[in-house]
Amino acid sequence: MKRISNRAVSVLFLAFLVICGMIVYVIRYVDDGAKWAMYFSRINSGSTGELTDRNGIRLAFFSGSENSFSEDDFTRRANYHVTGDYWGRTGTGVLSRFSGELQGFDPISGTTQVENSRLKLNIDSRLNNIIYKQLFQLTKNGEDRYSLDENGNDVIIRAERYNAAVLVCNYRTGELLGMVSMPTVDPLDADTVPQEGAYINRCLSAAFVPGSVFKLVTAIAAIENLPDLDSRSYYCEKTYDIAGVPIVCSGVHYTQNFAQALANSCNVAFSQIAVSLGQDTMVKYVKELGLLDRHELDGIPTAKGSYPTEFVGDPELGWSGIGQSTDLVCPYSLLRIVSAIANDGVIVEPKLIMDGKKAESSRLLERTTAEKMKELMAFNVSYHYGGDATFPGLNICAKTGTAETGYGTTHSWFAGFLNDDAHPYAFVTFVEDGGDGLGTAGVLTNRILQYYLKELSE
Amino acid sequence: MTLFFQYAMTIARYGVVLLSAAIIIRSIRSMLSERYEPETWAYIKRGGTLIPVTHWENIIGRSPFSDIRIDHRSMSRVHAVLTRSDNGVWRIYDIFSRGGVWVNDSKVGINGTSLRSRDVLSFGGSTVLFYDISTEQKKELEERRTKVGARVSPAVTLLELTLFEICLLIEQIIYADDEYTALIAVAFAGLIALQWMCYYLMCFMGRSGFEVETLAFYLSSLGLSVAASSVPEDMLQQLIFTIVGVAMFLFGGLWLRKLKRTYAMRIPVGILALLLLAVNVIFSDAVLGAKNWLSIGGFSFQPSEFVKVLYVYVGASTLDRLYRRQNLYSFIFFSACCVVALALIGDFGTALIFFASFLVISFMRSGSIATVMLAVTGAGLAGVLAISVKPHIASRFAIWGHVWEDIYDKGYQQTRAMSAAASGGLFGKGAGNGWLHTIFAANTDMVFAEVCEELGLMIGLCMVLAVLTLAFFAVRSARSGRSAFYSIAACAAMSMMLVQMGLNVFGSLDILPFTGVTFPFVSRGGSSLLSCWMMMGYIKAADTRRGSSFAVRDIRRIDDLYGDDDDDYYDDDEDNGEEKH
Repeated sequence: MKRISNRAVSVLFLAFLVICGMIVYVIRYVDDGAKWAMYFSRINSGSTGELTDRNGIRLAFFSGSENSFSEDDFTRRANYHVTGDYWGRTGTGVLSRFSGELQGFDPISGTTQVENSRLKLNIDSRLNNIIYKQLFQLTKNGEDRYSLDENGNDVIIRAERYNAAVLVCNYRTGELLGMVSMPTVDPLDADTVPQEGAYINRCLSAAFVPGSVFKLVTAIAAIENLPDLDSRSYYCEKTYDIAGVPIVCSGVHYTQNFAQALANSCNVAFSQIAVSLGQDTMVKYVKELGLLDRHELDGIPTAKGSYPTEFVGDPELGWSGIGQSTDLVCPYSLLRIVSAIANDGVIVEPKLIMDGKKAESSRLLERTTAEKMKELMAFNVSYHYGGDATFPGLNICAKTGTAETGYGTTHSWFAGFLNDDAHPYAFVTFVEDGGDGLGTAGVLTNRILQYYLKELSE
Repeated sequence: MTLFFQYAMTIARYGVVLLSAAIIIRSIRSMLSERYEPETWAYIKRGGTLIPVTHWENIIGRSPFSDIRIDHRSMSRVHAVLTRSDNGVWRIYDIFSRGGVWVNDSKVGINGTSLRSRDVLSFGGSTVLFYDISTEQKKELEERRTKVGARVSPAVTLLELTLFEICLLIEQIIYADDEYTALIAVAFAGLIALQWMCYYLMCFMGRSGFEVETLAFYLSSLGLSVAASSVPEDMLQQLIFTIVGVAMFLFGGLWLRKLKRTYAMRIPVGILALLLLAVNVIFSDAVLGAKNWLSIGGFSFQPSEFVKVLYVYVGASTLDRLYRRQNLYSFIFFSACCVVALALIGDFGTALIFFASFLVISFMRSGSIATVMLAVTGAGLAGVLAISVKPHIASRFAIWGHVWEDIYDKGYQQTRAMSAAASGGLFGKGAGNGWLHTIFAANTDMVFAEVCEELGLMIGLCMVLAVLTLAFFAVRSARSGRSAFYSIAACAAMSMMLVQMGLNVFGSLDILPFTGVTFPFVSRGGSSLLSCWMMMGYIKAADTRRGSSFAVRDIRRIDDLYGDDDDDYYDDDEDNGEEKH
């Protein structure tokens, strides 16, 4: 029996492991407990407060007994990816990420009560509503229909809508004015099962094939590295062979100069440019422009993009220069680039929270490059996108993108800015599987800006 | 909330913590820090000294680890085993000794020879006298031992537990929906009544050791609180499970009183265990990747929970049998069958619990670290195989340590659990005032976090400490268990609980991969609760403190020598055929 009881010490070894584990937990709790608790547990702190947009319109408010949002269901849905919810279903929402500002924590009492906390956003909920309305009206298959279910109750059969992301910011101050992601969620509607992927904020948390909007990057690299750029000409007859692999263009552009090639969004020209720049240069610019980085919007992390950084041959390099290959771009990263172009090469980092602090800014592009890009993007609009006829009254500079997804559809992109000191807005509009860049995203952007400027002037 | 409720709430919140601490401290004092003398069953007289025989199974040998040490060069290190049966027949067995064993000059074989008082035992060169003790002597010796509960009264501890439960009830009632308050109150009242009935039953049986039951009731009341927060409509069901669990605990404890019948049932129990697993493998449907649920007539249960109890039963062994290899081989074969069946079911968490228990049992039986290392290596390889074959296990390993990087999918449960647990601070947000229970499996796999959220980290630690106390107690009892069977069973049962608790707590907190096993007693689930209560029977059976355990026959009432029950187990040795190994 003595032998047996001595061997019973093996149980103590297990007990020892359990004790070690508990010590690890307690240490982690003291170190990170605040972070953990803030993430999802605001609901049980009993704090009161509210979240408003830049004009003081309430987007969310809460007290010890109630967690609520705007009374208007349209506003709730339009602003869902900005506000997030109290339950952390979308982790990038303000209610989740800034729950620390909305409540307190200490390791003894856990979450603690904070009275009347207030968080004001740079977001203009009117703009978000306009964006959401436009995206809501854009359906794949007709309109919503009413029907009767087996109990004779009215039910809405929703038309299919596009997944989309729209970002608008003030490129002078960095204020993020609009951010809408589709599909969205009504946080107070507990009955409807949200669409697949509705909790993902496509503006920040996803990266997509950029297609021709990526030519902005190739163009920037070309301007800074090819001294004879303006005297070069490019001949396009639909296809062009690089080392035996054909690059196919969307049209037949014949002879064009650089500006025309960008406006035509000529694949033949830009794949040649990428090849003549070489992969090292392309990778350098992709990195410098921040497309591969994880940025932070007031601490909310954004998705990284991708670009072939390992050696690939010339044909693949050509494709990557026109935004295909393995290129992926997060809409937010693209917004930074167009804002920098608009702001003479200086990026004022977008800010979501209006906290009185000045946004950080840094130079992303040479001033001359930015000016050149601005000219080129203005030329795009006037030469190829229909100018004032398509965008009446807007002094717009932009680039379209119609990105091959690889499964028979195309993503529709439109990125640019208003060259207008009264309305210094940069924007990125992205519609997943949305078809033509100008036809879908371009038209959408025009409507959004028209309605918003009208709203502002009222 | 009115001022009155606020006061009640505050008192209850801190009361719960203070009472928990008091219950645990009193239990630790009574179970672990008191000094308890061993039982004395017979004497060996060598020269002028009397050596007490303190177990039913004793090793005689030269080794310092022998129970009866005879330091003489003619002795083998492990020379003989001296056993006592339920009804007081003593036998001696030769365990492959060099010198051999003689009783009154006739040689003893491996089948043993029965002993009577004043028999002369010879081991090669040394001779001793064996004295059995009469019932009167036993009574006299027993009176000298420390009585359980003399210094730490079990009734006071139970009273503290009752106050603790009342505090929990107050909190639950303040936060619960009106429609459920009555149900919650009835369930708590039922639990309180049950524990006092249980206590008076013990008093009636003349037993005063109630710490194991108190700790089990402590954990069960936390389980009831978790049920009230998450599924108030099922309160009565939870109470009924507890009642059935206690009934099975009592039955199991009484069953274990008699070593002979206990040991004789090992093979049927083993077969039953394998049958349960076989039925499980064949008939059940997969729920969330593991098909560990079996539905019979609308009543569903997890066979693997019951197999845990049976596994311990089969794994434990008496000392005289330990030295027969056949015995260990059949146990290894049985363990392999269980683990393979669990792997087929897809319940890898439970397989891991079985494996840990297997290690403890096989180490206690063989004492060989090499064997254990071999088993660990084998299991490691099997684990790697399982990870590569089963994608859902691989994904749990992949997310381990990175749950905050995927809070929507693979880290969904753990991140919520960690957030809720942290939000509770040390004293919690109040029983019934949490949000974690809205997340799937919060009241089972993430129950530690739910308790931390609602009752605070202090209670979470107390809950872990309660299980640790039971484990330390099992180790302590192992020293004085009447038979190796009881010692091994108690240690195996507690090692299962420790591993299960570790996987549950650390899995939900991202310190280990998330396995989805239950916290003993606290997690919701009938099968698990029943099996935990039954496991407590093993702890009680190893507890030989004076007048302590109902699962141990009172030494003073064992009037046995040459008693009416003549068919002594050690006589009818059905293993005759295999002894030549």
